[in-house]
Amino acid sequence: MALSDTGQAGVSGRADYMANWLKPFKKLWEGIRGSRTAEATPFPEIFEQFQTLLQDHQRVMELIADLGEKSGGEYIFDRKYLVDITNDLHTLLLHLVNSLNLIAGKRYMDLYATLDRVFLPLEAELRGRLSLSEEMPLAVPLSALPLDHPELTGGKANALGRVIQSLKLPVPPGFVITTRANRKFLEVNHLEERIHSWLESWAAGEADEAQTARQIQYSILAGLVPREVLNEIKHYTAREGVFWAVRSSAYGEDGELTFAGLHETRLNVPTPKIPSAYKEVLASLYSPAALSYRAKMGLVGEEAAMAVLCQETIPSRAAGVIHTLDLSDPGANCLVIYACFGWGRTVVGGEAADRYVVEKDPPHRIKSIDVAAKETMAVPAPGGGEEEKPVPPDLQKQPTLEFEAIDTLVKWALSLERYFKRPQEIEWAQAEDGSLWLLQSRYMIIPRIEIPRQEDISRATSRYPILIQGRGTVAHAGVGAGPVFQVYSDVSLNRFPEGAVLVIRYTAPWLTPIVPKAAAIIAERGSAAGHLATIAREFRVPTLVGVEGACDLLRDGRKVTVDTKQRIIYEGRVKELLQYELVQTPAFEEAPEFRQLRRVLKRIAPLNLIDPHAPDFTPQGCQSVHDIIRFIHEKAVEELMDLPKFMKRFKGIKVWNLTSEVPIGLKILDLGGGIDASAQGNKVVAEQITSLPLKALWEGVSAPGVWSTEPIPVDFKGMMSSLTKTWADTPGSSTQYAGFNLAVISDIYMNLHLRLGYHLNLIDARMHPEPQHNHIYFRFVGGVTDMTRRSRRAHLLAQILSKYQFKVDVKGDLVVARILHLPREEMRERLEVLGELIGFTRQLDIQLKTDDDIPAFLETFFEQHSPADKSTSL
Amino acid sequence: MSSEKLKILVLDDEPIVCKRLAPALEKLGFEVDTFTQSLEALHQIQEANYDIIITDLKMKGIDGMRFLQEAKSKNPATEVIVITGFATLETAKESFQKGVFDFIAKPFKLSEIQEVVTKVAAKIRAARG
Repeated sequence: MALSDTGQAGVSGRADYMANWLKPFKKLWEGIRGSRTAEATPFPEIFEQFQTLLQDHQRVMELIADLGEKSGGEYIFDRKYLVDITNDLHTLLLHLVNSLNLIAGKRYMDLYATLDRVFLPLEAELRGRLSLSEEMPLAVPLSALPLDHPELTGGKANALGRVIQSLKLPVPPGFVITTRANRKFLEVNHLEERIHSWLESWAAGEADEAQTARQIQYSILAGLVPREVLNEIKHYTAREGVFWAVRSSAYGEDGELTFAGLHETRLNVPTPKIPSAYKEVLASLYSPAALSYRAKMGLVGEEAAMAVLCQETIPSRAAGVIHTLDLSDPGANCLVIYACFGWGRTVVGGEAADRYVVEKDPPHRIKSIDVAAKETMAVPAPGGGEEEKPVPPDLQKQPTLEFEAIDTLVKWALSLERYFKRPQEIEWAQAEDGSLWLLQSRYMIIPRIEIPRQEDISRATSRYPILIQGRGTVAHAGVGAGPVFQVYSDVSLNRFPEGAVLVIRYTAPWLTPIVPKAAAIIAERGSAAGHLATIAREFRVPTLVGVEGACDLLRDGRKVTVDTKQRIIYEGRVKELLQYELVQTPAFEEAPEFRQLRRVLKRIAPLNLIDPHAPDFTPQGCQSVHDIIRFIHEKAVEELMDLPKFMKRFKGIKVWNLTSEVPIGLKILDLGGGIDASAQGNKVVAEQITSLPLKALWEGVSAPGVWSTEPIPVDFKGMMSSLTKTWADTPGSSTQYAGFNLAVISDIYMNLHLRLGYHLNLIDARMHPEPQHNHIYFRFVGGVTDMTRRSRRAHLLAQILSKYQFKVDVKGDLVVARILHLPREEMRERLEVLGELIGFTRQLDIQLKTDDDIPAFLETFFEQHSPADKSTSL
Repeated sequence: MSSEKLKILVLDDEPIVCKRLAPALEKLGFEVDTFTQSLEALHQIQEANYDIIITDLKMKGIDGMRFLQEAKSKNPATEVIVITGFATLETAKESFQKGVFDFIAKPFKLSEIQEVVTKVAAKIRAARG
């Protein structure tokens, strides 16, 4: 879609449209507010609002899941899509806030302000106005770089930030002086206009390159570094005795375009000289070479922005470069490590260096070692900078690296290439103590002639047998190859080999630690919107979910190539395809649309409000769209749960009482289709429940052996009997209606609040015929015993639930478990288990006397209650 | 793979669409040219014959509807697939009246467009015998 010129207007026009569109809404709301009080809202309307609220909530959840899926690369979308979805979300959220206020007597008017707080920046983000706003920092530490803002920190620093935060490789610590500091520098020195006009006269042919470069560079070097920037530099360089590498990190560098070598790097800079080195690096943005490169690339009209990366100097015994593609033999599937003593400068400069050629396939055999005669080396000069020194004669012909170091470097190189999806040129250093450091990783520049035009890709791939085709949903698009490794339990997590293809039955959250090591992931079940899929996207691991029969077909050790873009799994290593992906296709993850989507998602998808009793569970505490709808849902249900008030307000509404052998006084509010139509009076039995989730849960609760338990010590008996009674009977609670157990249901939905003694269970579940509409949300809190026992129980529950692939959060004695998008039958199994668990937890605090009791209890539970998938998930 | 490769032209002013579609279709065995400027694409169809054209509708300059009309008049055997983010019943109807093979609303899955292209390729091959 054209969004460049006319489109921009269209987008901001949309914002005006939104504002106009909101007016009638606000009016309507004021009308409601003025005309009647909450008490006067008739029940049918409340009832309808509640149903609408549930539907809107569901719709928002689905849109969030949609957005998450889109970031996986299977979809082709453009900016218009992001704008549309954000507008849809805004509309739905307004509906939700309106509904809640109607149900709750306008007690949540603050939420309108919350909506503004969350959506205004989001919409600004989509208009592209947020880039380099005043709030953005002048400097940031490398360890906490905002990864989706390369315009702030430049390409080189952004790549390093990813290496640190996602790949967890050791990178010398440091900080980035941002592009905003660059802008500030230009402002303070009144340079913006002048540079612009110099560039214009150059573009018009009135001045030559050298002259233009000289004028601009001189004026930058003569400028003053703004005080705020100096303060930031001081803040990050407080430690004494440190020398710094000061490098350029221009916006656009190391991305699609590579300015490699065009900009300055200053090595071994003492702290007091950082400001002047900073100016030199800034000025290098306008060197004659940089100017002509920008002219060639058609970038003269665009604003140039330079961030500057400052890293602590590693005094190295050895250093060098890795190429993950051997340019001398591109078809060989090998990488090359160059190494020399001292600083790596001599390698980069093309002087004598050892050359190790290593196979990229496991077990990574070393194919050849050429030891060069290394006569000189670069070392740090005492006062800063570097100097050349002779290598001691006995060392000159020694190999630079031990095998162990080579192993580590190979591992790093492969994970960097896997992550950045391009052949990499990697700078590394080895400190005197033998520790290895990663200095830089950037796209390799591959001269076209080096790679003979490959044979036709479709012909090449047609020679390989296809094992699975056209099955499953893409959670992350890409190509990966390796031996299959199936994981059944967390015991085998540690044995997962680097670069293997992970094949699993379910995408359970406990698999998270091995995602970064996987070349690809194939799951028989699970959702592209689930937790593991999100993690796979973070680490850019090609992932397919919903691949029927994968576990049977793809046995351990079988070598496969997974192309999730085509949804094909090939037998063997399809080297032509891997090469094609690496060299010919752009990494979609770096496209501006995907970056923008990730930024937008950060304001939409994260759930921060987990504990409804936490002090920040308020409209003010909501940080994301997900938080807001979570808050609204919780509060809306809470309103209905306040049954005494509710019944007083709405005399005559039908509330069913469940008659059951299990002594839980459960009241049921049926929104439609949840109770058999033949039911009479106000009592129902379990068989008359037609609501799928409640039916499933009740089967668990009333399963033999769940409720009636082993004998327990006499002195606990009295307490236990009180536990089976509802809250209403417990001391201190005198109100007749207080704390009913209430289920709000429909044919496919259930929201259940169950108070058993001091335990509070909440389950919200949907069982739609289409899996993508399904979820279970389970929350458990409280207990009669001390906090230690309660949290012991919480951890036990967490262990059991995660075996059933729930995503579980534990905070003290609060357990929150979620699962998404499984087919009906599998949701049913899990609700039944939850029913059984609820039955069991009544006695847990008392039985779990020490931590050692947990494994025994787990065993008992799993023996008696067969897990959903015995063969694989345990 | 059949002996003769079918040629596809992709026209969309969002570079991301071209960048993603080209490899996805090459892997299926097609020869792919991509354009982000409709004027350039228009010149190109004067120079070369394409079996399949995949075009966006709303673009600066010459819009997709006109482009596909030109393409069809130049070579009636060309099959056209429309991809658009502004999918309305009206535009869909108009496209089909102009002889478009299929109409796909953005955002779409790579697999969706691959399926449609495979289908249209089968049709072209069948027609040629």
